[in-house]
Amino acid sequence: MRSHRRPRLLAPLLLVPLMAGCFASGGGDDSASGDGGDGDGARLRVALAFPPAENLSPYGADATLLSRLGVTEGLTALDANGSAAPALAESWRRDGEKDWEFTLRDATFQDGSDVTPAAVAASLTRATDAEPAPAALAGVTLSVKASGDRVVRVTTAEPDPVLPLRLSSPSLAILSKDAYAKGSRVDPVGHATGPFELTEVNGAASASLDRFDDYWGGRAQASGIDARFIADGTARANALRTGELDIAEAVPVAQAASLDEKTRRDTATTRTTSLLLNASSGAFEDAGLRAAARQALDTSVFAEDVYEGYADPGAGIYGPAVTWAEGKRTAPVGRAAVKKPGNGDTITLATYDNRPELPEVAQVVKQQLEKAGFTVKLTVREYSRLEGDALDGKFDAFVLARNTLLDTGDPVAVLASDYTCDGGFNIAQLCDKGVDRAVADAEKIADTAKRQDAAMAAEARILGSDAVVPLVHQRIITGVADSVQGVVLDPYERTLVGTGTRR
Amino acid sequence: MWQRVAGAGWRILLAVGLVCGIGLLPWLTHTDPAYTVLKARSAEREPTPEVLADIRQQLGVDGGPLHVLAGWLGGLVRGDAGQSWISGADVLPYVTRALGASLLLMGVALLVAVLTAGVICLRTLRLGARRRLGGRRSGGSGSAVLASLPEFLVASVLATVVGVQLGWLPALGWYGPQWTVLPALALGLPAGAVLGRLLDDLLPGAFGEPWALAAAARGLTGRSVARQAVRRCVPALLPNLGLFVVGLTGGAVAVEQVFDIPGLGRTTLQAALAQDLPVLQAGTLALVLLAALATGATRVAARLLTGPALRDGALSSLHRPAPPAGRLLPLVYGALLVAVVMVGLVRDPLALDTGQRLRAPSLEHPFGTDALGRDLLARVGHGALDTLLLAAAISAAALLVGVLLGLVPRVSAPLVDTVNSVPPVLVALLVTAVAGSGAATPALAVGAVAWAPLAAHTSSLLRQERATLHITASKGLGAGPVHLLRHELLPAVVPPVLRHALLRLPGVALALASLGFLGLGAQPPSPEWGLLLAENQPYAERAPWAVLAPAAVLALLGALAVSAAGGLRRPARRRPSPTADGGEGAERRSVTATEKAPAGVG
Repeated sequence: MRSHRRPRLLAPLLLVPLMAGCFASGGGDDSASGDGGDGDGARLRVALAFPPAENLSPYGADATLLSRLGVTEGLTALDANGSAAPALAESWRRDGEKDWEFTLRDATFQDGSDVTPAAVAASLTRATDAEPAPAALAGVTLSVKASGDRVVRVTTAEPDPVLPLRLSSPSLAILSKDAYAKGSRVDPVGHATGPFELTEVNGAASASLDRFDDYWGGRAQASGIDARFIADGTARANALRTGELDIAEAVPVAQAASLDEKTRRDTATTRTTSLLLNASSGAFEDAGLRAAARQALDTSVFAEDVYEGYADPGAGIYGPAVTWAEGKRTAPVGRAAVKKPGNGDTITLATYDNRPELPEVAQVVKQQLEKAGFTVKLTVREYSRLEGDALDGKFDAFVLARNTLLDTGDPVAVLASDYTCDGGFNIAQLCDKGVDRAVADAEKIADTAKRQDAAMAAEARILGSDAVVPLVHQRIITGVADSVQGVVLDPYERTLVGTGTRR
Repeated sequence: MWQRVAGAGWRILLAVGLVCGIGLLPWLTHTDPAYTVLKARSAEREPTPEVLADIRQQLGVDGGPLHVLAGWLGGLVRGDAGQSWISGADVLPYVTRALGASLLLMGVALLVAVLTAGVICLRTLRLGARRRLGGRRSGGSGSAVLASLPEFLVASVLATVVGVQLGWLPALGWYGPQWTVLPALALGLPAGAVLGRLLDDLLPGAFGEPWALAAAARGLTGRSVARQAVRRCVPALLPNLGLFVVGLTGGAVAVEQVFDIPGLGRTTLQAALAQDLPVLQAGTLALVLLAALATGATRVAARLLTGPALRDGALSSLHRPAPPAGRLLPLVYGALLVAVVMVGLVRDPLALDTGQRLRAPSLEHPFGTDALGRDLLARVGHGALDTLLLAAAISAAALLVGVLLGLVPRVSAPLVDTVNSVPPVLVALLVTAVAGSGAATPALAVGAVAWAPLAAHTSSLLRQERATLHITASKGLGAGPVHLLRHELLPAVVPPVLRHALLRLPGVALALASLGFLGLGAQPPSPEWGLLLAENQPYAERAPWAVLAPAAVLALLGALAVSAAGGLRRPARRRPSPTADGGEGAERRSVTATEKAPAGVG
């Protein structure tokens, strides 16, 4: 009987070759193969928090991922002060109200072809034709034409003072002709201009990149990147601690303490967590009660305790990452007198759990408001199940983490969309003539410094309405292994690995 | 024959209904798929009407649900499951890859589960083989504790301790055999504990059967008696094993997340939230197929194990000799639980003090504090009532429905398979679609799944019970079907199923909490136990007490339920005495068993 049994026990071994297909491919390179045999620059092992959602299409959120890994570039980039800086365009000038001329630098695509005005024009035209249009081009009509040897001419339907900022958006990256060869899908693999070239993409699990030797900005020091997409923050931190990774993006605050102090680097970001108060219905329609809510909140607690110091106390709509904001800030205009909440003032407070700190913030807000005499009911859901109701004004108060420079890098855009009567993302349901006028004034100004001044004037009006109470300005924690140098900690979260990053 | 055809037809009908239900989901819940798809692609994108219109056109959902469904089914006939609405990638290779990873994970987890179950039954097996079982109570508190541990907790502990701190095994990824160990342990340990408990529950009955005595008297070794005892009991568990196989394949979301495994659980979860219908339909269909396969396999296995005896009605009833019910143990557990709750109740569960966050247990805060500085003892105490009442109510309803449907296996078996193969989130969304998002919805959503394993258990026990000699005897004495059901079948079947339901009670509490992110169920700052576990999970390493406190009370609840249920046996007056239970049948049984030994388990 025993002799019959043996082969049966061995039978599962026949499945072993089949099993290989059940594992994820790529990303499993151990450090030995990652060190690069040619001896110049090891490969970097990077974990990103957001897996590609749309097959690395440059027109959606994946665009940021491509620019963070140094794959794609636009005509312009954002500098530390939030102004447009040269990238593929060496310089630009405005020619009349609606025309701009961008002079290209000498660069080549990763597939070997030259970055010509015709290629740039074709690439940008594809972006304008994309459906849905990239967020940076929402509501903008523009046409792009090659004009001479090195010049691209961009014409907008309406005067657009922030066009160079707009073109810095990762979703307007320049790709070569071949990227568009496959029908409607845009393929950035090997067709971009950045210092690293995508060679292989394994779905939403991992991607391999090699150094692009002919990069116009000089050869990168790392010979390549093994990128993995790990959605779970604890998992990213764990992988960094076991030495499986060199760089882990966006370590959650709760995990920061588990990393060595040298390993965690924090940068101020343009994300502000605020409490939005519904100004057109419910209890907070009354500006006096909004003022009471604002006064009831002790914002120092959030940055110090809930965010464990990885945030700055809320100062305004723009935080310290928007470097010019603090110096230009003026006192809020037109605040109402504080009113005492009555007994019947039950308010609904909502937030989402996609960012783990927000439910905690909301619970502290709830307690502080209750101390001031409000009765608060809290709702926590997944973001996509919540946003619709929030935009419809179904909640009295909403805790929102919002990127204040949006896709264009233009400070006025967030004010227009979030706080004006016609704004598309007006969760505060604010409709105030003074605010609308101040925002409209700011939108017309082309000069960067004056536009910033006008934006701050509008901010003062918005804060004066008490429809928004800034709670904290978030800092992002990047886990960087000791041996790694030159990680680009970008407040705009558009770059992470650059030519100087190495280990 | 015609019964089998009807069964297959019913099964297919259910699968088709499910796929169509998914196809109608966005229209039933009045949630625009263009909107959810946009949010899945880019959470920060403003949902302007133009953008939504573009996406609707891109997805082709303008034509309404029937148009979309017909298009998808038409493609399926040609072997094309369509493109994902989110990424535009082909669904079939995408889902197949995820299914492969999940099946492998499930396979290894099943191995762990079987080993765990074996270890749990080891004591009973050893004692039973030496015929020293009589008079001993079954232990089982340990396994009940293990069974009530939430998977995600086991997963995070394993990842941090074994993966990161000790560095013995990789803590993350899915690249080769050594990566499978920790996730499989996280899934297999609790599942194995449940299976082990159920098996351990049946074994004494098998050892008490006359054949075992005869075999021992004839000089068979304890080993082979034990093996036959396992073989005698396993068929009753096979349907549940099948359910585990499918459940672990499609529902291992938490473990997949912690270990970053590209499995089917996460894929279907994302698709369900984004209403990515092609992926969701393909994933669910794959799971339904797997469920049908698993059921087929368990049937074949059951037939191989007990075939002739089942056909000839030659089994004896699997009822253990009356155990001296543990009087002391449940009292101790109960007293402990009540004490914790009482002490907790006098404290304030909602008082925040962020300056006191994540404090270790001390005199002031005996269980420590959570991430917002709230006293955990207070939260555990105040959460008890909500958690226990709701979970107990759902469990009771599930028990009732499970037993009733378990009585009509022909109707319920395909239903059990289908319900069990649907990912829990999808069940919740479908229930919400039908019932709206009212207060009862979370209970309905959890209850809609919770009855399935109980029904499977009931019908498998019933199948065996119907084949016993005392039923034949009762029939011979002229007992009608109603009399049989009331006086013979139900009293035999209900106690083990009840113990099973109690064993799953902590799981029900956890399932309730896991629906919170859909806006169903308890919302913070409620101290409901499942929510406590979920909200403290990110701090599991820095402040282990914050998760250990709620996990410990859940485990205590599990231990209490199991040890108290030890007394829930068949009423003594109905229990047939060993000698009167058909010596001939036992003889025949033991002969067939020896002949077919190679097919035995163990």
